[in-house]
Amino acid sequence: MSESADFMDPSADHGAHAIVPARRPGTLAGKVLGLLDNSKEQGDIILETIAAALRERYGLARVLTRRKDHYSKQAPEALIEELAREVDVAVAALGG
Amino acid sequence: MAVDPVEFFFGKEWSDGLPVVPPTEERLAAMLDGARRDPDEVIGHVPPLMAPATVRAIALHAVMAGCRPDYLPVVIGAMACVLEERFNLVLLQATTSAGAPFVLVNGPYARTIGLCGGMGCLGPGFRANATIGRALRLMMLNLGGGIPGVTALSGFGGPWRYTYCIAENEDESPWPSYAQARGFGPMENVVTAIPLEGPVLVWDDASEEPGRLAVAIADMMSALGGGNIYRQADMGVVLSPQHAQVFARAGMSRDDTHRLLVERAGRRLGEIRSGGIWRGEAGAARWPFKVALDDENAFVPAIGDPDDLHLVVAGGSGSPASLVMHGITVASRAVSRTYDA
Repeated sequence: MSESADFMDPSADHGAHAIVPARRPGTLAGKVLGLLDNSKEQGDIILETIAAALRERYGLARVLTRRKDHYSKQAPEALIEELAREVDVAVAALGG
Repeated sequence: MAVDPVEFFFGKEWSDGLPVVPPTEERLAAMLDGARRDPDEVIGHVPPLMAPATVRAIALHAVMAGCRPDYLPVVIGAMACVLEERFNLVLLQATTSAGAPFVLVNGPYARTIGLCGGMGCLGPGFRANATIGRALRLMMLNLGGGIPGVTALSGFGGPWRYTYCIAENEDESPWPSYAQARGFGPMENVVTAIPLEGPVLVWDDASEEPGRLAVAIADMMSALGGGNIYRQADMGVVLSPQHAQVFARAGMSRDDTHRLLVERAGRRLGEIRSGGIWRGEAGAARWPFKVALDDENAFVPAIGDPDDLHLVVAGGSGSPASLVMHGITVASRAVSRTYDA
């Protein structure tokens, strides 16, 4: 005998917090690039290599680099807000 | 057609892969009776999804995990620990390592609810041990959204990520409890959560004096593949009562034993430079101690701060073994709290 459907469903709404990605600029020429270094070893080398390639290929206006205190700690709100304010596109290092 | 609740919950993305007890209003009411708390009280928000862990939500997950109502105070206490900022639960949710919150319970209430700290305590076989730890994980999965491959990036996962909860074996320990060593009273009910990897067994049925017994334990503590020798982190060492007695019989207190293990656990610089995650000067610069990098024989300790070592007595008294649980990083730290039983 199967139970009737009078049980509760404690599922959190995993879809409700979907974040809409920011609009992508059509070109990188004259844009400000942000680099977020998570402080994992050699992440800085990878980020700098990416920045150099984008500079050469597209003519970026400026590169702004920021670095987290520790790879396993979330970036402070103020740092994220600064990047959101100052840059047009950003590359963030994850994992490692 | 009636919905099969067992299959309904197996179909959830946040399922841990095992069947749950379907929550009903009756089971929830009975569970909430296990703790004298306001069901709407918010203990915290579970990262990274940040859904609220209210007392009611905790009770629902305790029902699903298979807890008895009298376990609820411990589950609430454990959640309060892992939701503290210093525990930084988002680390264990997202880590590429395999760590999980290890939950240790001290004080008289553990005995009241049958939480095992003796033979077989890491399971299987004990409802309180199995379900209290599991309730935590179900909340990490559901309320926190720590889904494998989505936000949870542990390459392997591990059995200790289903459940990882014991009482200390206070009855058979020769010393005051772990909680007492941390400043709590012997009759206080204390729950501690420590971010740790799974346990590794150190078998030693030959060493009858402290110096010899410390050899294998210290060696495992400073394993090159472990989480502590290259970088600082918490570490668990769980001595069986038999191993604890080797130290106690020689007149050593808990503090003496703790100190001996901290002193002994480490490697020569030459060894750790030969492989592993040796990061050169940049890695060594992160150590809280100074090591002469031109001295191959310089001693590099596995425990940078004595407080990083969590020494516990548990397991069966006939077992000449201990456990070492390596850590992950200093960005996630152990938390101990009293809880209301």
